Amino acid sequence: MTGEPGSHDEPAPDDGLIPTLHAVALRVEAARRLAPAAGTAVLRSIVEATVVLFGAEAASIALHDPATDRLVFEVAAGERGEGVVGLAIDASQGVAGYAFSTGQPLALSDVARDARFGRATAEQTGYVPRSLIAVPLVDDEGVLGVLEVLDKRGDGGFDLHDIELATVFARQATVAIRSSRIERDTASLLRAVLLAADAVGPAGGDTAALDAIIATEIRTMDADSDDPLWALADQIALLRATDPGQLELVRDLLAVLVRRADHGRSSRGRG
Amino acid sequence: MSQTLPAWSEPFSADHRAALRRLAPLGDVAAIDRSWAFGTGDGDGAVVAIVDSGVEGDHPAVAGRLRASVRVELDGDRASVVPDEAVDAVGHGTACAGIILGRAPQAELLSIRVLGADNRGKGLAFATGLEWAIGQGASIVNLSLSSRSEALYATLHDLVDRAYFANVLLVCAANNVAVASYPSLFAGVVSVAAHDVRDPDVWFYNPRPPVEFGAYGLDVEVAWKDGGRIVATGNSFAAPHIAGHAARIRTAHPGATPFEVKAILAATATPPV
Repeated sequence: MTGEPGSHDEPAPDDGLIPTLHAVALRVEAARRLAPAAGTAVLRSIVEATVVLFGAEAASIALHDPATDRLVFEVAAGERGEGVVGLAIDASQGVAGYAFSTGQPLALSDVARDARFGRATAEQTGYVPRSLIAVPLVDDEGVLGVLEVLDKRGDGGFDLHDIELATVFARQATVAIRSSRIERDTASLLRAVLLAADAVGPAGGDTAALDAIIATEIRTMDADSDDPLWALADQIALLRATDPGQLELVRDLLAVLVRRADHGRSSRGRG
Repeated sequence: MSQTLPAWSEPFSADHRAALRRLAPLGDVAAIDRSWAFGTGDGDGAVVAIVDSGVEGDHPAVAGRLRASVRVELDGDRASVVPDEAVDAVGHGTACAGIILGRAPQAELLSIRVLGADNRGKGLAFATGLEWAIGQGASIVNLSLSSRSEALYATLHDLVDRAYFANVLLVCAANNVAVASYPSLFAGVVSVAAHDVRDPDVWFYNPRPPVEFGAYGLDVEVAWKDGGRIVATGNSFAAPHIAGHAARIRTAHPGATPFEVKAILAATATPPV
């Protein structure tokens, strides 16, 4: 690398760094594949608790997808609310879009009285609510999405106390989403590794160089490759999602496999 | 360095004090009560800017009081204010317009749309829209939304000061969520949350900020999108009630400055118990 034009004074990045990065990236990707069910499970428990505590017909959480700028409904609770899962709406439209765009909670009642309101959207879900609350999922870093609660049981619509309560649930959801995303944020982890290793020559904290290295590494990670590691990670993720109690057994099996692999390597004299 | 008086003292010195006289001072105030505060004030002469999702010009509740509609267009990190159709992407801006006109029917409205597919409520759009409203000399700006952007903290703080000194009153909905949001948290605005009394003429003053006023925001029957009406709850419906009352005060007392209007609102607030 030295002697290339434009690199006169800066030594090449440490040759051992890239393989290290690769190893870290593989581990992060494996962790990401193992983790996703956990994130959704927490969200689901939040919407279920929301339905119970409000005595509501339905509750759902929509998360913002920056790539399409839409709010995608990820989880829902309540029989009548299930139809909304998978629905994607424009992030600036409707009540959910307003709560998301402004970070302001909003509650509407007598929704059915206005023939036009949200009917098109609600009809996709087979359910036109009488009343609803939309509360943003927000923290210091921004707005992640929206929590909606539909049709509190009883005569009254949602009141100010209900908005406050929904805000509490929204905060829990935001924390859960944020912490699971931090674990899965490959770029942040790689950057942290690089900075700690102080590996980018005298440029030190040159973020442009860091970004270039990270972008290259991410591009070369093929998440759909048929490396048996991915297959194994996927199987474990599936097992964890369906039967977390079996994970202990899986861990024991893996420990056995690792010991056997080590045995195999050393007995073949691999250097 | 010059040894003359600092600039701030000069206006008060004997040979400059004549310039301190105001065109329309508050006048003799025996008691600050609602009849003095409002007089026959109906918003006539007050221009209220609504920074929101747009205002539906042909909604019956808007009643032809919408003077102009603009939107903020973003191009990377450059923002510009361009003319917009008098439409409302959500219904929220129209709801605010209807509430303001309900209190101050002769007020004129300006709509600044900062929400929608083309700017999606970005902090830069919000700051640009607010700056434009201040530059238009709006009497009151209703902000039912705030920005969480730390990067905009200084810009918004500066805009709030600029509004204050330009005699523009900013009325902001307090943010329910426990994260910092600007400018609703700044001292230079009138911050408003919702109380639980279904009466537009009831508002409370809170001597322990940051939220200084509580106004009608629970089960408010409001105008909504496509000529409709709906019942809504939230701090963002309380703020326009205060904005409407402020418009009446500014009609009755055209010389009142933003801090005087705030003081009058506090002095005429409903006794809490």
